[in-house]
Parts: sequence; C-alpha cells; structure tokens
Amino acid sequence: MARPRKFDKIVIANRGEVAVRIIRACQELGLETVLLHSSVDTQSAAFRMADETVCIGEAAASASYLNIQANVQGALGVGADAIHPGFGFLSENAEFAEAVINAGMVFIGPTAENIRLFGDKISAKAHVEKNGGPTIPGYSGKDQSLPTLLRECQRIGYPVICKAAAGGGGRGLKVLNAASEAQELIESAQREAQSAFGSAQVFLEKYLNNAKHIEVQIFGDSSGHVYSLLERECSVQRRHQKIIEESLSPALDETLRKEISFIASELAQHAHYLSAGTVEFLLQDGKFYFMEMNTRLQVEHPVTELVMGVDLVKAQILTAMGAALPWPKVFQARGHAIECRLYAENPYQSGMPSTGKLLATHWPQGAGRRFEVGFEAGDEITPFYDPMIAKVIVWDETRIRAIQKMKRTLSETIVFGVHTNIPLLQEILSHDEFLSGTMTTRFFDKHFAQGLEAPEFSRSEKSLIQMLSGQLADGDARVTSEGNPWTHAWRNP
Amino acid sequence: MKWLEVDFQGRKTRVPALKFQGRLWFHWLGVNHVVDAGGTGRRAASEKAATHPGIISAPMPGKITRVVAAMGATVAKGQTLVVMEAMKMEYSLSADLDGKVQELNAQVGAQVGLGEVLVRLVAT
Repeated sequence: MARPRKFDKIVIANRGEVAVRIIRACQELGLETVLLHSSVDTQSAAFRMADETVCIGEAAASASYLNIQANVQGALGVGADAIHPGFGFLSENAEFAEAVINAGMVFIGPTAENIRLFGDKISAKAHVEKNGGPTIPGYSGKDQSLPTLLRECQRIGYPVICKAAAGGGGRGLKVLNAASEAQELIESAQREAQSAFGSAQVFLEKYLNNAKHIEVQIFGDSSGHVYSLLERECSVQRRHQKIIEESLSPALDETLRKEISFIASELAQHAHYLSAGTVEFLLQDGKFYFMEMNTRLQVEHPVTELVMGVDLVKAQILTAMGAALPWPKVFQARGHAIECRLYAENPYQSGMPSTGKLLATHWPQGAGRRFEVGFEAGDEITPFYDPMIAKVIVWDETRIRAIQKMKRTLSETIVFGVHTNIPLLQEILSHDEFLSGTMTTRFFDKHFAQGLEAPEFSRSEKSLIQMLSGQLADGDARVTSEGNPWTHAWRNP
Repeated sequence: MKWLEVDFQGRKTRVPALKFQGRLWFHWLGVNHVVDAGGTGRRAASEKAATHPGIISAPMPGKITRVVAAMGATVAKGQTLVVMEAMKMEYSLSADLDGKVQELNAQVGAQVGLGEVLVRLVAT
C-alpha cells in the first residue's frame, strides 16, 4: 500500500448516474471534482454538478471513455490527485490503472495486479482453482480459433456459455444451445467483446441452466484486511444483464451464507485485494460455483450499502488515500434492500431501446427510498451508451415490505419522453416465483420472453385521454425538472 | 408537465400530462402512458418501425456493425441480414420471407435513424 496521501481534486472517468454518485461522495468529503466526458455528453446531471468538466473525445466510447491516454491527459491537465473510474468503461482495465499511477496519480480501486489477476476471467479461474475454490468445467485456452472453440463446445457438451475474457455486464456473452448456432454466436460474442472491452478473447463454460446468481461484496482496506459485506442476489436477468438485485439473498440459510462469505474473502485475501470487489457465484442444488470476480464498484452496490449501513464509494476514496475505515470487523445485515434498474426501452416491444429527450421526471421521495439518477428533464438519452437511466433502491424491515415499497415507489415514478421498463419491473415484482424467492437466472426467459402486451384503454379512459389532449397545447413541454407535483396535485376532495 | 384536473367516473382527480411533438404523455393509475395526441386513444405507434413484408428497417436508432446480405443474393426466412448496435447491445435483423435482396442501404459503421429502410427483399 502506498503512503497515505490526502486528495484535493478527484477526476471522474465515467458518466450517467454513477458519475453523480461519485461526485456526491467527493462533495461530502470536501473534495473538488472534475468530470471527463465525450463531446455529445454534456446534457447530464453529472456535467452540471462537477466543479470542472473536460471533453476528452468524440461520442464513440472507444474515442473517449475507453481511451486511456485521453483520460490520463485530461486528468493531468486539471492537476487531479486521483481518478475514480466508476463501473464499466476503463474501471477494470489494468493498463489504465497503471497509466494513472505512472502519471503520478492514484487509481481509486484495486491494484493493477488485482485487476490483471481477476479482470482476466481465465487467470481468475486459475486463481480460484489454486486456492481450492469451486469452478465450472470449461475451456479457457489461448487458442481462439473457431475450429478449436467449436471442438471444445462439443467436448463440454451443450448448452455452453461463451464469455468475453475481459468482460462483464452481459456484453460479449452468449448461450450456445446447439452446434448449429455455435459459430454465429461465438463470432457475435467476439465482436461484442472487441467493441465493449477492446479484446476479442472469449472462454467457454458448461451452462448451468437452473442456477441462482449470488455474489459477495468484499472490500480490502488500506491495512490489508478484507471485509465481507455478505451477499446480493441478482437472479433476475435478461440477456445476462441484471434487472433487479437484492440483499441479502432470500435463498441462503446461515450455513450457506457463512460458506460463500468465507470462500469470497479467502479468494480476495490471497490476492492481497484492495478496495471494493465482488465475487460472483452460481448456486445450483445447494452447491456454489465461482463465476467471476469484478474488480470494481458494482452497479448494485446500493443494496449492500442500505442493509450494511456503509458508503462504499467513500470507503474507496478513503482507502485510496491510505486512511482507515470506521467499520466493524464483522458485518450483520439489517432489514432488506432491493434495486430496480430503469432502462430506457419500450416494454411493449420486447425492450427495444428508446431514445429521445427526457421531457419530465418525478422521483417520489420517501423513507427508505433512494434514487440514483443520471439525467434530468431536458437531457437527451442517446443511442451511444448504456440504456440505464436511473436506479430505484428501497429499504424496509423485511423482504415482502421492501417489495411492496418498491411497487408503490415505481407506481409513483414519472418519466415522460422515453419509454422505460417500469411496467415490466412491476410484473416481475408481482410474480409468484419472485415473491417466493426461488427464481433462477432463467426466470426472465421462462416467464417474460414474450414481452408485455400493451394494455387496452377502457372507454372511459379514452374519453379521459381526449379531455387531457384538449386541455394541452403541443409544445406545452416547458421542460420541467423536478418540482413536486403531489403537494398541490393531490388533495382529497 | 402540467397537472390537469379532470372528472373521471364522477370523481375529480389530477393527472400529470404533457403534449410534445404530436404525442401525449400522461401518468395514470401508476403507469406512464404515451398516445397519439389527436385524442383518439391510440397508443403512439410512430415509435414502431412500420412492418411490411420484405422491408427490413431499423427498429431503433443505432450503428450498423455488420452487413451479411449482399445485393441480389437469395436469402431464406430467418437468415440474418444486418446486425446493428445501440446502447451497447447487438440486434440482428433477419429476413421475414424467402426472397432476393433487391435493395441494400446498410454500410458498416453508419449511424441510422429509427425506421430507416436498410434492406428490401422480393419474395421468390
């Protein structure tokens, strides 16, 4: 661990809601913030909140958010002490971490060695096997030729999952159900991997088709101690992209919880892991299998924060400064937290991306409700980046109350201008399998693959629409940011 | 956004709503809706690229990442013609009938708008 060093100015090498999350943490710690952004990305909450902003390149992520030199130069130009990479983009790029350090700044996150070991899914698997951890049978060889990959698929036996070696977040990841579709899907995975992570290398694993996604939040502090902040469950996924996450998992008893928590902290401890990280497992028939370790802050970190009473982003910053954390040695969860990811997509057209100007939003505040929002009314949602526009997180005493709170919160949430997946989230939150906590990673495909039917309006609703339409002039969209409509809108007659 | 006072089945209620570029957005019984602003109650369909047999158009704004179809080529229903990317996900557009490629307007790397016709097929 480097010598303690106090920061004055931190650069955020990211965008959207996570950039806002990091800027807030910095502001609360009294640190100045600089946002690095692409040329098209000036309409966002983070852009308005940061003390300074620097344009580092064109819209395409490869020209800006994924460009190591542009990020490092941007940070050097403003005299930053440290860079927080958020998640996605360069957050798990060891070369970037090294470039930041070589330029005399601090990389807020794990060491470059940590990222290299775990960021490459193949060496990560080797590390787990060396330390006696449970892994899934597969192929992770250097030979990436199509004939070899196809032969290995045959050997492993379909269904096979093909993943980007440098990947995460569902990009460059395909399930191959039969030899007939293998070639096309492997090639597609390689293209997605190249475009999202700058490396086309993939690896193959036996696809566990009835498993739960369980992941453990771990954190290595500046003294070398590794904390376990217990698990999250993220089994509700579509195309391997998480939609709903919760902490703790409704599926684990205390024995399984202790087991998984121990395995995860051991893996991190043996790697001298620094800062926030997540060890992902599949759980099938009472047995855990290591899937991958994410060497970064996770999108779903807020659910852990709410049940553990911690601030993981501040902990990352303090750890990067070499400071101690005010944390207990052993964590115990309090209550239950759930996160829903709001995607700009049309739920009635099987999740087709929806882009456009956000015309109005309303995030209904309340006890135990938390909104992580990257864009405000008037901002343009572009096709260049991730479709996630916000996260809604709730906390309550029990799981069922948290679900009730989430449903109520989503029903009061207003987003005009782009479609969102809220109707789909509501369906999932009401599904028996989700309510019982028995869902697996196939839950979504099993029940929601057909997409949602748009509900028909009743006759009286149609006349309501006519009434509304008659009262409004087009272009009445004086774009209104927040403003709480309910205080004056709802008065019981 | 305005909060309009309306009578619904004999009860006064307020509905958040706005009209923009021919569409009416409103929040009703816990759900965000968008309809054609003409007041017909028709769900805004303009989002959806028109579907005509043999006409393959962009279902969303995005970038062309791969063009499989070739001018004049014979294709089978279900065969991938063009691959697009938007919001970092890939989408394959495939032939909706057995036919021949009559027109091809897709170039790798090009940004295309919603509803832009990329491929025209004639049935064989």
